Formats: sequence, C-alpha cells, structure tokens
Amino acid sequence: MARYGMALDYKNCINCKACEVACKEENGILMGADKHRIWVGVKEIEGEYPFLNIASSAFEPSQCQHCDDAPCQSVCPTNATYYDENGVVRVDADKCILCSYCMNACPYDARYVDDRTMTVDKCNFCSDTRLARGETTTACQNTCPTKVRTFGDLDDPESEISILLRTREHFSLKSHLGTKPKLFYLT
Amino acid sequence: MAETIQQKQSIKEFIATIPFNKIGIKELLNFEKTPQNMLIAVITLAFLAFFVLGVATYLMHGHHAYNVTREHPWGLLIAVYIFFVVSSTGLCIVGSLGDVFGFKDYEMISKRAIFGSIVTIMAGFAVIAFEIGHPVTMLIYNVLSPGLTSAIWWMGTLYGLYLTFMIIEFVFLLKHNMKMAKIFGLTGLLVGLAAHSNLGGVFGFLNARTISNGVFYPTYFILTAFITGVFIAFIMMGFRYKLQFPENAKVMLTNLAKIQALLISILIFFVTWKFLTDIYGDMPNRAEVARHILGSWTFWAEVVLAMLIPLFIILKDMGKNLTGMFWASLSGMVGVFFMRYNLVHDTQLKPLQMMKTTEYQLAPTWVHYFPSMAEIMISLGGLGLCILLYYVGTKLFNLDADTHH
Ligand code: SF4
Ligand code: SF4
Ligand code: SF4
Repeated sequence: MARYGMALDYKNCINCKACEVACKEENGILMGADKHRIWVGVKEIEGEYPFLNIASSAFEPSQCQHCDDAPCQSVCPTNATYYDENGVVRVDADKCILCSYCMNACPYDARYVDDRTMTVDKCNFCSDTRLARGETTTACQNTCPTKVRTFGDLDDPESEISILLRTREHFSLKSHLGTKPKLFYLT
Repeated sequence: MAETIQQKQSIKEFIATIPFNKIGIKELLNFEKTPQNMLIAVITLAFLAFFVLGVATYLMHGHHAYNVTREHPWGLLIAVYIFFVVSSTGLCIVGSLGDVFGFKDYEMISKRAIFGSIVTIMAGFAVIAFEIGHPVTMLIYNVLSPGLTSAIWWMGTLYGLYLTFMIIEFVFLLKHNMKMAKIFGLTGLLVGLAAHSNLGGVFGFLNARTISNGVFYPTYFILTAFITGVFIAFIMMGFRYKLQFPENAKVMLTNLAKIQALLISILIFFVTWKFLTDIYGDMPNRAEVARHILGSWTFWAEVVLAMLIPLFIILKDMGKNLTGMFWASLSGMVGVFFMRYNLVHDTQLKPLQMMKTTEYQLAPTWVHYFPSMAEIMISLGGLGLCILLYYVGTKLFNLDADTHH
C-alpha cells in the first residue's frame, strides 16, 4: 500500500516532448492532438525585441495531478473513477458511461476520450503497464533527458520523492481549489 | 397465493379502466387541413426524419458525429436535454397549481400540463440517450455502484422517479380520482424540483468553473422552469382554442400572465445581480468570462426573446392581450432555448490549460464550439418527437378538465 506522487523539477524541462511520446508508446495511447495523458505547456516570451522578457518564457510539463480530493471522482455517477490502493486516481472502463462530467470537473484538463472503448482515459501513473510489471518508474520519468520527474511513495519517508519534498521548496497547481494534488513542482 | 392473484387482477382491472379513445391511423390523420396545421404537420414530419438521420449518423460515427472536444465535452444535446427537462418541470409546476394546491381556476389546464410534462421529459430522455456514450451501462451501474456524491446520479435517478410519479398522477387524473392524483402529484412535484435543482447543481458544483460555481444555477433552474412552464401553457392553450379563448380560459391565462410578469422581473433581477457580482472586483477568470458572455449575441437573444418581449407584452395590457401572449410565449421558448445553450457553452468557455500545449498552436483564449449537423438534427428531432407525442395524446385522451363533478 503506497501513496504515489510525483515531483517535477520543471525548470529543467527543455520541451523535447520525449515524455509525451514515451507515454503514448508505453500505454498505447491513440494518435491525435486531443488524445494525450501528458503535455508540456509553453508560455511564449513576452515583449518586443529588444526588450524581451526572458524570465517570462516557461515550459510547464503536466499530467493528471492524482488529486487526494479529486473532483473527477466525486462527480462520477457510477464510481467508474476511483482511487486505487496506491492513491492513484483511475478509470474503470467497464463502468464509465461517457457522461463527460469528469472532463468538465477536472480543473487541469487531464482527461480525454479513448476512441477504442469510448470511455474517459487519463494518466494512471502507468499502473496497468509498468507498475503492473513490477517496475518502479513511469515511462515519462524514465525517458526524460534532464530528469525532470521523480516518482515514488509519499508515505515512505526514505523515498527519493519524500526527501526531495522535505529539502526543496515546491508548489502545486490550482491548489486553492482544495484538490490536494500529488504532483509537486520544485522551485 | 390467492391474494396475489387477486392483486394482479385488480391491477389489471385498474389499467383496463383507464379512459382513453380507441383510435386508428385514420383518426390520427384526421385534423382540420388548414394551411397552418398542414405546415406544422410537415415540419413535425421533417423533424422526425432529421431525428432518424441524426441518430443514424451517430450510430455510424459515434461521438465523432458531434463537434464536442476535450475542452468542450458538453454540446448542443446536453443543452437540448436541459431545455426539455426544464419544460417538463415547469409544466409540472403549472399543472400542480390546480390539482395539488387547489387553485380552482387552474384546474382546467392540470391534465394537459401534466401530460405535457410527461411528453417533454420523454423527448429529453430520447435526446440524452444519444449523448451519453453508454446508456445501458448507465442503467446497470447507476444501481450497482451508485456515485452518491455525483449530481448527475441524483439528477438522473430522481428524474426517473419523477417520470413514474407523473405517469401515475396522469392516470389518476384521467380516472378523475382527485385524491390520489393530488398525492402522486405532490410527490412528483417535490421529486421533480429536487431533480431539477440537482441539474443546476451539476453546474453549481463545478469548482473549476468559477462562472458557474455556486448556488445560482440550482435556484435559477427552478425559477426558469416555472417561467418555461407558463410559456408552454400559453402555447398549448393557444392551439387548443385556436386563439378564441372561452371565458374561463381567459381568466386563467390573464392570471398566469400576471404571475409570469412577476417571475420574469425576478429573473431579470437575478441575472443582473449575477453579472454585477461576476464582474465586480475583476476576479480573474470569472470577470473576463462574464464580459465575454455580455458581448455574445446568444446572450442578448436570451434576454430579448425570453425576458424583454414577453414582459413588455404583458405589462402593456396588464396581461389581457392573450393572443399577444401566445406569440410572446413562442418567442419566449426560443429565448429559453438560448438560455440553456448559453449556460452549457458559457460554463466551458474558459480553457483550463492556460498555456499552449502543442506546437503551431496559439496560447488558448476562448474555447470554440458550434454544433454539428448530427447534433442539430437530433435536437430538432427531439422537438418533433415532443410535438408528435403531444398530438397523439390529444387524440388518445381527453386533456380538457372533466365537466362532470
Ligand atoms: S487532475 Fe483531474 S483527472 Fe487527475 S485526479 Fe485531479 S481532477 Fe481527477
Ligand atoms: S465520463 Fe465516465 S469516468 Fe467520467 S464521470 Fe462519467 S462515468 Fe465517470
Ligand atoms: S505516469 Fe505513465 S501514464 Fe502517466 S503521463 Fe507518465 S507515462 Fe503517461
């Protein structure tokens, strides 16, 4: 019984999008711009040459936040969205009725429709691929050339992620909504 | 054992004695062939054909037949579903005035309104069945693993119950058993109001969407349902009496018009304050979305068609211009449609990912959506279905108040 989370040293992101590709490859995600579990947000440089605001440019890699208090879960009429024993927010395709309520309720736009099952899909920390095979890393983490991601058990004080969160300042996205995300951005 | 057989028999007898007219195709096609009636018949048939075409397109292409996207997962069909169930709740309220609350003047419309509420919610269900990806799974897992924190679960379940109560109430009305009709009518009304405010809650619970989040929609839905019910009451009575209203209908409709003036005034007051609080203080996300809404023509269509025109016509003659009100009610229903469409679309206007996420893409501003042909056809089909069912009902049942007491 773990409580999985992920820390992102996001300032190291170089927008190579290797994570987007690795996730599609590992988890068999369909092609198409809409069909993604993971993305890199790009904020363009502001200002007119030569007064460019270099600090304004940013890359923000993201995915499902695996909220501890997930709005997508509370709104699901059939409990198709559930917390698994590791605190990972997952979708049971057999129960999903594609009412799309969760897509509207998720504050992070982390959900999309998988055209094969016509149900909602999202990042599940590679739970039915890599973790199921006994591996301890996720595909997006493993592939990253600048090692942006650290995945691990938040309940284990000795885990790499717990140490990181104790020693580095961090924030989470839209935390004012009370979703208690388990994705942490290191500053 | 003997008892159950007896029970079965008495149920059979109960059903067998529901008064209705035995009609065939010939009687169904038997209506006054005036140009207006012919036009309505042709339009209804066209809408029904659209329904078949739209559903066929959906069955072939699934959700790809719709213009819904990851950013805008709810489209026209959700708006049309809301349109129909709001109509149903509204008609239930209007129908209850007479047979539940005992206002004698309104008894003449009770049966018609309750029948209307059954027909409209059925049309709503017919439309939503092609929007929900897996309606059968829904029926199963709604029961097996109910999501009790989900407003959609409550809304769907309560509306199912509501439909049952409405049908039972209607049967008792037909049988002229006013006591039982009152009991089921009151229960149905309460369940319907609960269902309907839950539908508002579907939007009100969205913490991520500041423009819709809060208590506004759950209460506003009840108010606008009443308004919608009154509009439809005028339309139904207008058709029933071909705009030549008898004295008792005149009294009732004039009173209804006055109530409507009050309701619309409250609505205008509500909406004004909603926008003032949305914009005041320039709260990020909420204020800009509100300003964007104020700049959209669909919002003004809602205001002019559903609020200003009807209010003006009522106030001009203190509700006495019933023919005017009939036309204003048609305008009002078009406005109410825009009201529903706006509510669904505006909730999803603001993109949730605030940075651009793919190459060659601009940073997100507003989420765009325009319904596809399939969505439009199924929606019009819902309307066709509604008109057809109502027409059949007028032939099958006596929807006027019974004269014998
Ligand atoms: S980020 Fe969205 S999809 Fe993921 S758990 Fe939170 S609400 Fe659900
Ligand atoms: S789309 Fe599926 S997972 Fe999402 S709320 Fe509806 S039933 Fe639940
Ligand atoms: S953790 Fe796995 S499923 Fe989630 S984004 Fe990374 S690769 Fe995709």
